[in-house]
Amino acid sequence: MKNRMGYLLTGIFFGFVLSRTGASDYNYIYWMFSGVDLKLALLMGTAIVVGAIGMMILKALGNKDIHGQEIEINRKPLNRNTVIGGMLFGVGWAVSGACPGTVLAQIGEGKILGLFTFLGMVFGTYLYALMAEKNPEL
Amino acid sequence: MKYLFVDLWPWWLGGIAIGVLVPLMYYFLNTALGVSTGYGNFVKIIMPASKLRWLNSNPYKNKYNWRFVFILGMIVGGFLSARSSGMPWLSDSMGIFTDTLKWSLVPNILWFFAGGTLLGLGARLANGCTSGHSIHGLATLQKSSLVATVFFLIFGVLTTYWIRVFLFGGA
Repeated sequence: MKNRMGYLLTGIFFGFVLSRTGASDYNYIYWMFSGVDLKLALLMGTAIVVGAIGMMILKALGNKDIHGQEIEINRKPLNRNTVIGGMLFGVGWAVSGACPGTVLAQIGEGKILGLFTFLGMVFGTYLYALMAEKNPEL
Repeated sequence: MKYLFVDLWPWWLGGIAIGVLVPLMYYFLNTALGVSTGYGNFVKIIMPASKLRWLNSNPYKNKYNWRFVFILGMIVGGFLSARSSGMPWLSDSMGIFTDTLKWSLVPNILWFFAGGTLLGLGARLANGCTSGHSIHGLATLQKSSLVATVFFLIFGVLTTYWIRVFLFGGA
């Protein structure tokens, strides 16, 4: 596998930023969802705008990656499961005060309960694999 | 240096730092930013002999692929942040939650495991999480990411209201 070091460094940077901004702190998630402190919502909004501008620049430059290959955007399907999954995910986000990215930063920070959120996510992914076995649409 | 390594970053700096990852990952790695798909790698690592069709689908041909490396990196990133800012090495605290409820370890473990289960299942059904849908998907103007993110937020708000009123006693 090429680019292994690139992915490792990107991961380290992402985990470091999530932790340094408070995204891996239960309180900031709780405050965002209860409207007390919208710091993380503002952070996400900024990230979306910055990401969108960056993607426009890439497109204007010919939509090619560093090796000259066409950039293929990962298009996600929209169906009933987008809504059902979105609901379950929203409940899980508020219950654990974490998402699949920030829980990794929590583990690195030494938050023991974050490890159980992580194990729950692995288990939830396994449940999906079981469901997909009986439902060819998944 | 203290501004970056000890103090909490302001929202705009964090937003820029995360936002630039979307185009940079496409440019340098030709990959979509996203974390939750990588949890399937861990299912496969725990049960390598599983014959389940989905676990043997394309993203999981190699369970130690880039997603695995990316996830390990994110744990290291959290570790480095904790060390640079002087967090305790190990903590059984989860902020307001553990401060308010003072549950013992076992119910706490069950609560966070249950939350994780919903996140894992929900992310796969919705085809993405906060990074893949809400950041990457919205930055690439995808309708499914808008739908997913709206439901993430609505149910996050409703659940937090329920926690505040019924668990925290309205605190």
